[in-house]
Amino acid sequence: MSDYDDVWLVIPAYNEGTVIADVVENARKVFPNIVVVDDGSTDNSAEHILTTGAHLVRHPVNLGQGAALQTGLAYALKQPGAAYFATFDADGQHQTPDVEKMVALLRDDQADVVLGSRFIEQTGEVPWIKRVVLRTAATISPTARKLNLTDSHNGLRVLNRKAAAQLRITMNGMAHASEIVAFLASADLRVTEVPVDILYTEYSRSKGQSLINGVNILFDISLRERARK
Amino acid sequence: MKYIWIQLLLLVGTGALVLTFVRRWDRAHTRAWKRMAFAAFVIANVYAVFRPQDVTWIANQLGVGRGTDLVLYLLVVAMAFMTLNSFMRFRSLEAKLTDLARAIAVNDGQRVNDDRFTAEQAEVRAETADR
Repeated sequence: MSDYDDVWLVIPAYNEGTVIADVVENARKVFPNIVVVDDGSTDNSAEHILTTGAHLVRHPVNLGQGAALQTGLAYALKQPGAAYFATFDADGQHQTPDVEKMVALLRDDQADVVLGSRFIEQTGEVPWIKRVVLRTAATISPTARKLNLTDSHNGLRVLNRKAAAQLRITMNGMAHASEIVAFLASADLRVTEVPVDILYTEYSRSKGQSLINGVNILFDISLRERARK
Repeated sequence: MKYIWIQLLLLVGTGALVLTFVRRWDRAHTRAWKRMAFAAFVIANVYAVFRPQDVTWIANQLGVGRGTDLVLYLLVVAMAFMTLNSFMRFRSLEAKLTDLARAIAVNDGQRVNDDRFTAEQAEVRAETADR
């Protein structure tokens, strides 16, 4: 038994075989309930996940990170006793103490959703070019501004059951981060941000979003806005 | 003023394009319109093969020099429609594929994980019983 029996970590993984087992076992020291969504990996990610104590859910085909998050949330929501849901990256750049801090806020009922931000209490750890682009994204995005967010593209988020049950990620690719922010802005939920530390390791840098992919994300989002009306 | 009619025609075509894009596309009546447009397209094709001079006449009435140019303009609009149409269709297919894959993933995952963790618990129980 643990203090965090009612918390589920959702980790989307695509070809993360080299690190996933370590990341999961590390997180399991604090959080017993973890579901890893193997997004149709072509490497041995699934085998590595099976050696851990995490639940494994496998997409039969690769669908994208947004789809993997939604699948993980759908799975976690069905588990008995699940009350809080955290999205967590598979590359080891998130830290469990940050998640504990965020869960504590939800337990206090101070918010429905807590988002991690790299820009409150600047640590100087974020590469400068990334900082400029991400700050720009947060500033020009009307929804991020509405919620007063400083970082709209952080993978670390904790939702309570009410928020997680409402969330419907339809952007399968990387545009889901903006979609989640848009959802939060339109939903009747209390959203807050807390500073988190991101470990920019060699590995996470190599797996991270290249900035040119920002073009794809902008395109996807603009089309989604159109299609909705 | 010479080009007013063809300009109007092309603008209306583009406007209709934007409209189908903005509004929900896969309603039955949109589909009916698409089919009617396709039928008209086929009939116009057959007609143009037999009476090319009429196409040129229509082109002249619209302020376009040659029938070939008119056909080219209309092709551009038709092509834009087709591109948009297949794009929308792909997106709706992708959404269905995602739902399907998710249902499979969650069901299979639930079964596999139930097996894994109940087996583990049984092992633990067996071990403690041995001691």
